[in-house]
Amino acid sequence: MADQVDSMSDAELRTKLAEHGFPVMPITASTRKLLVKKLKMVLDNKSKPRNSVDNKVESRRSLARYSSGEESDLDSTNNVKERRGRRATTGGAMLPPVSNKSRRIPLKKDSPAKRDSDKGSESEEEKAPVRTHEKVETVTTRRVTRTYANDQDDYETGSDSDVDSDKKTSSPFRSSSRSSDYISSTLPTNDASTSPPKSSIFSRPSLSHSNYTSNLSSSDQLNSIRSRLGLTSSLADRPPLSTYTSNYASSTYQPSTSGVDEIESPYLSNFTRRLSSLKPDPPKPSSFLDRDTTNGSTLIPRRSYITGVPRSDIVDYKAVNDKKFLKNNLVSLALVALVALFFFFLFFMYIVKKNDITSVVDDQNIVVPICQLNIPGNRPGINCVPKEQVGYAKDLMKAIHPKLMARTAAYKCGEPGALPYLTGKEIIEIACPQTDTFSRNYDQCTTDLNNLQILLVKNPRWGLNVVQLKNVYTKDVEYTPLTSTEAVVQQRNKGSVAIALSDPSTPISCLFINTLYSAGSTFVVVGIISVLVLGLQRLYKYYLSYQKKKSEEIYSMVEQIIDVISQETEDSGEPYISVDHVRDTLISPQNREKMSSTWDAAVKFIQKNESRVRMEVQSVDGEDCRVWRWVASHSSPKRSTSWQGQAFETQEGSVNNLTVSPTPCLKIRHMFEKNDTNPNLRTVIQDVILEKCDRCNILHIDIERTSCCVYVKCATPTDAGVVYKSLHGWWYEGRLITVKYLRLERYMQRFPNSPSSGPYLKPSRLRRSWDE
Amino acid sequence: MSSTSQKHRNFVAEPMGEKPVTDLAGVGEVLGKRLETAGFDKAYVVLGQFLVLKKDKELFQEWMKETCSANSKQSADCYQCLKDWCDEFL
Repeated sequence: MADQVDSMSDAELRTKLAEHGFPVMPITASTRKLLVKKLKMVLDNKSKPRNSVDNKVESRRSLARYSSGEESDLDSTNNVKERRGRRATTGGAMLPPVSNKSRRIPLKKDSPAKRDSDKGSESEEEKAPVRTHEKVETVTTRRVTRTYANDQDDYETGSDSDVDSDKKTSSPFRSSSRSSDYISSTLPTNDASTSPPKSSIFSRPSLSHSNYTSNLSSSDQLNSIRSRLGLTSSLADRPPLSTYTSNYASSTYQPSTSGVDEIESPYLSNFTRRLSSLKPDPPKPSSFLDRDTTNGSTLIPRRSYITGVPRSDIVDYKAVNDKKFLKNNLVSLALVALVALFFFFLFFMYIVKKNDITSVVDDQNIVVPICQLNIPGNRPGINCVPKEQVGYAKDLMKAIHPKLMARTAAYKCGEPGALPYLTGKEIIEIACPQTDTFSRNYDQCTTDLNNLQILLVKNPRWGLNVVQLKNVYTKDVEYTPLTSTEAVVQQRNKGSVAIALSDPSTPISCLFINTLYSAGSTFVVVGIISVLVLGLQRLYKYYLSYQKKKSEEIYSMVEQIIDVISQETEDSGEPYISVDHVRDTLISPQNREKMSSTWDAAVKFIQKNESRVRMEVQSVDGEDCRVWRWVASHSSPKRSTSWQGQAFETQEGSVNNLTVSPTPCLKIRHMFEKNDTNPNLRTVIQDVILEKCDRCNILHIDIERTSCCVYVKCATPTDAGVVYKSLHGWWYEGRLITVKYLRLERYMQRFPNSPSSGPYLKPSRLRRSWDE
Repeated sequence: MSSTSQKHRNFVAEPMGEKPVTDLAGVGEVLGKRLETAGFDKAYVVLGQFLVLKKDKELFQEWMKETCSANSKQSADCYQCLKDWCDEFL
């Protein structure tokens, strides 16, 4: 189908698209490719479901396997109490009549016959519930419903034999049911199952049926039922059987709806799929039901179990999951464990091998220079060993080896005073007091030692070295190994011969501790250094910011002082003002102490750098005090808030005048500079604008410092026109103002909280007269 | 998306006239080059395609992807730009 799409004509393509609900659009050279692709995609989507149906049988089987495994896990891990509780809640909440009755079904003697009929119809679908059921039986639960005990025999055979799917032979009702139409018999059976023992009530068929459907709407729900059933039971065989049959019947009752789900859930069997397809039908009042919906929508069995886990009402699912995880990953886990074991073994062998001196010594390949009488150069204890004394020497070595090991370890671990070798004297002290092996006299010990030294020189693979100490008397650890018997004999006379391990290895624990220690100390040092550096940096930053703040304070103070001086001198008519008076007007009493340094700095600054102010000493009211005299002319224009005239005409008829003002919002540029840090900038600007345009109603004024824009919102577009005319093209503090209209939406986007009506803005201070 | 790029605002602010395709939001030099080789040298040509596709976002984005291998953000920007322009001026 998809292949044909390429070769379709434009008209065909158009109709095809229209068929699939696409808006018909012109098919041109540039759009055709796109539309073809679209159509293909749609066709692909449509054809998918059909393919997946073929897998049904396969997937069903896998579910049967899967669910049975699941079931056994579930049941074995469940604890009785919990199940009972859950059963009680479900029974109470959603299916009070059904849950009770379903357990009682087996008591009914006459029910099997009816059950047969609904059970039979689809043998494959039955496998899943039946097999699960088998697992349920294998589990022994403590709780026994005694009412069923007497009936047990009747039903056991029937239900058990189902397991092997050999239905014909074992259960008569099964075989007969095959041929019958299960749908027609579904309702009666349900009724039968719900009826109390020994009595069949067919009075409420539809009710019980609907309960079942709601109950069983998803695989998860199914699970909960299974677990519940598993619980009821040493007699589990009977109740589950009947329940499942009825479940099954109710689910197959609406067999048509499974289409979409099949795509998504390859491992679900037809049975579960149908269960889940029933999901939307019944009303779902309880918590079980939301679980249904989530699981029903994902519909992948594993998923659904996992999503079910965190819910508090099914704690045991968690255990099930863990077990399942273990089970499924058994091989891989085992492999990992095997590898770990292998390496551990290697490691162990390495350690053991290294330390096992006896095996090395007893090895046959050792070189023993046996003293032979017929060779003239042989001297026992010097370059050869008498044959009978080799054993003694070896024994001696075995005796001292552990001690030597311990010493080396102690030395390596950095124990104070520990030496990595044993001197001849020490060896004799160790060896000779031992009564059992070395109970011979001192000479014997010495001889053995001499022999041992010879042997060690001849057999370097023993791992021991005969060494010459650099300094015998100080506890110096330096030594050099001796390689010839002559040297050994020479040094022996000096008493500076010792035995040491040739390749001393540090014990693991020691190594570990040493490493930890060095790493820790490095870490500490690095930490201290970094903390110091960080602290210094922070300090420096703080210092800088402090300096900046200080100087800003001073500058603002200076400005304030000059403002006050010029203002006061202008107002009072006296050309000077007392310094202290200025300070007292500017700084509130509680801040005076704190601000004194700032004040002093500001005074100094003015004295040094301000030409318009002169400091002198005047007698004010008979008291001499320092005063500031305002030297500059009074007529000089104020530095701030001044409109300095118009750059170009914006009145009626001029080119720059817009006849209609489109929006009530304006954007004014260049009212201030980017680095203006005045905290009251907004108030200042607002006042300036309001003073300039006192005839119009302004709702909102705000500034944006980054782009140096002032935003003005007026009550009406006409007002905005007035503002536009009175501001556009004016010089303000040496900057040319430009005004643009702004769409109301944009304005609202930027200032969502700006008022759309209400009180108009008023200048925050008394109006000052400014020159035109 | 509350804020739009400067390029978007510039484009939407006025009739497109003879603006090159690179003036569209989301179309940079690279995409512009690709679109030009595909014959879409002016913004109004892209607008034409946009209109032929009936202002359908999905299809337009798909088309952008096909024609100049634009990513989803670029095509979404371009779509939004043209859509806003149309809302304003069409």
